[in-house]
Amino acid sequence: MKQTDENDQPTATLDQHLALLARMTQEFTTSLDIEETLNNAIKQMMDTMHAEAASIFLLENNDTELVCRTCAGPIQLTGLRLPADHGIIGNTVKQNTVQMVLDVSTDPDFTAQVDEQTGFTTRSILCAPLTVKGKKLGAIELINKKTDNGLFVADDQHILTALAASAALAINNAEMASALIEQERIQHELELAREIQANLLPSASADDFPVHGYNLPMREVSGDFYDYFTLPDGRIVFNLADVSGKGMNASLLMAKTSSLFHCLGKTQTSPGKLLQRVNNEVHENSTRGMFVTMVGGIFDPKTNEIILANAGHQPPMLQYADGHFEEILGQSPPLGIMPDIEFPETRLNLANGTLYIYTDGVTESQQDGKMLGEAGFQVMINAHRDKPVTMRIKAMFENLQREGRELHDDVTVLVIENKPQTPSLSLSIPAKANYLKQLRDSARDVALSAGSSKEQADSIVLAISEAASNIIQHAYKGDEGEIELNIHVASELEPAQLVINLRDYAETIDINEIRSRALDDVRPGGLGVHFMKQLMDNLVYTVPEDGRGNRLEMRITINE
Amino acid sequence: MNKNSESPVKFEIDDEQGYLVIRFEGEIDLYGTPHAREVILNCLKSERNTVIDLSAVNYIDSSGVASLVEGFQQAKNQQLEFGLINISDAVQNVLELAHLDKVFTIHASLDERIQAS
Repeated sequence: MKQTDENDQPTATLDQHLALLARMTQEFTTSLDIEETLNNAIKQMMDTMHAEAASIFLLENNDTELVCRTCAGPIQLTGLRLPADHGIIGNTVKQNTVQMVLDVSTDPDFTAQVDEQTGFTTRSILCAPLTVKGKKLGAIELINKKTDNGLFVADDQHILTALAASAALAINNAEMASALIEQERIQHELELAREIQANLLPSASADDFPVHGYNLPMREVSGDFYDYFTLPDGRIVFNLADVSGKGMNASLLMAKTSSLFHCLGKTQTSPGKLLQRVNNEVHENSTRGMFVTMVGGIFDPKTNEIILANAGHQPPMLQYADGHFEEILGQSPPLGIMPDIEFPETRLNLANGTLYIYTDGVTESQQDGKMLGEAGFQVMINAHRDKPVTMRIKAMFENLQREGRELHDDVTVLVIENKPQTPSLSLSIPAKANYLKQLRDSARDVALSAGSSKEQADSIVLAISEAASNIIQHAYKGDEGEIELNIHVASELEPAQLVINLRDYAETIDINEIRSRALDDVRPGGLGVHFMKQLMDNLVYTVPEDGRGNRLEMRITINE
Repeated sequence: MNKNSESPVKFEIDDEQGYLVIRFEGEIDLYGTPHAREVILNCLKSERNTVIDLSAVNYIDSSGVASLVEGFQQAKNQQLEFGLINISDAVQNVLELAHLDKVFTIHASLDERIQAS
């Protein structure tokens, strides 16, 4: 390299340099439109530093190539791709140091390839690496100083180093921002897919319909699904299925299989033959290695007969009226693996029992490293057995989602039950005193239709209203909130009981603080709990399964 | 006569035979109690013997009962008469539950109260 006397050069003044630096830094830190910022920046750098040309090259393609993202000067280089180890710029990036080559003709690293392609004559080069926290992004290159000798000086080197640092930061920020935008776009599309998928599931049934399903997807899109629909003769066709794998592939196969079942199930009412047809269709054009396990069946509410066929799904559980469970075994392989298989049918009578069809997401959920398993699932069912089916499903999913339980897979449950309906109520009101009347009116209706006398209905209403008043005053303390009231008949008990649950989402209250006051202590509000205890057979405060708020369960024997 | 139809608990006040008679109507719960309480205490503030007609009250909760107790105690402090008349079954049951049916003086009507005194 030649040495030059810096004082001979008409360089930009220090003030000009500092002004450029300040302006660039400002622009870099505020702009996320990196292309425009860099375009402006490179032009200003070229002008202020009296260079003939300037360009920014960034690493791409797993850092194997340097690509010109923007340039200024007589030759258009934008889009030019060089191997990452190419020439002086490659060296700058590799060694992560500023390179100043005063006479390229004497520099062994200089490769004339670009000049040959462009017809431009490179005499000297100043090149600074772009790095952020040790991550190499590329380099800024200035070519030929517009002076008589066309050479850069040490000052130029310092300025470019400073500019490169802030440019690198800006490029890095912009890249992260665009990655974020891409991530959000994907997220948005997954949410749309989930919405479409949720629409494939039947909407919630009326309380007195014999089939109820619930699905809790673990990702935006789920591989589980269920379906049911009523035929003109009153029989109900149903299925529950689990697609192998998760994510978008699984959910597309889910959509396809679900549509096939829904369409073919309207005319083919033999579950075995239906699964056979679905199997053949799925097999015909399914992606290799993907399959679907499914329980399909038909239920006749008039005779209580269920006919089931099982394609490789885990056995459904039938809980008989006396409480014992039976697994309904099936031996056929999943759908989509082999064509032309037969799916044997099982006939059973539901009577006053309940059939639970579910995916392994339920039994494989873990608590303290222990899987729930079939036995655990049965315990969970029994814990909520006296609830009407919709409340029971809700309570079971609250259990599954409570703190400390790990769900690894989509969780889906289909419940078939054809018991005589007992009156029940599920109501949510704002925690405000002016809603208490609504609560009382609804509670009175349920109590009366459950068989309570007018006097007992009055007592039930008073106890519920007092409990709700306490929630408003002492749990929410006047803050906004919700009060949920659930009432159902525990008809399997002899004599039957009315079970009343009040739930709030306020801070959990120390149960020891909830005491009725002494009777001579008649300060306002002191009587409520005393009333509740007098009126009800049983009163239990608990923390709800999901760990939030408070739950009060009150029981009273219906017109003892 | 005073009437207030905007309140959750409706009431009328009549001046009869030396008593202010407050006749409440509706449900005296957490929502209606603050208003009912104010009405009772205002009557006592005017240094008048007060009786409360509860024939048209079809629901009263612990907060409503507590406001009656407060009126009762306030009257005692001011050496005024305070009583309940014409109470509905719903109110009777709740007063019994609170063991307050023997604390208040309760009569079938204002006339009966005057005769009894």
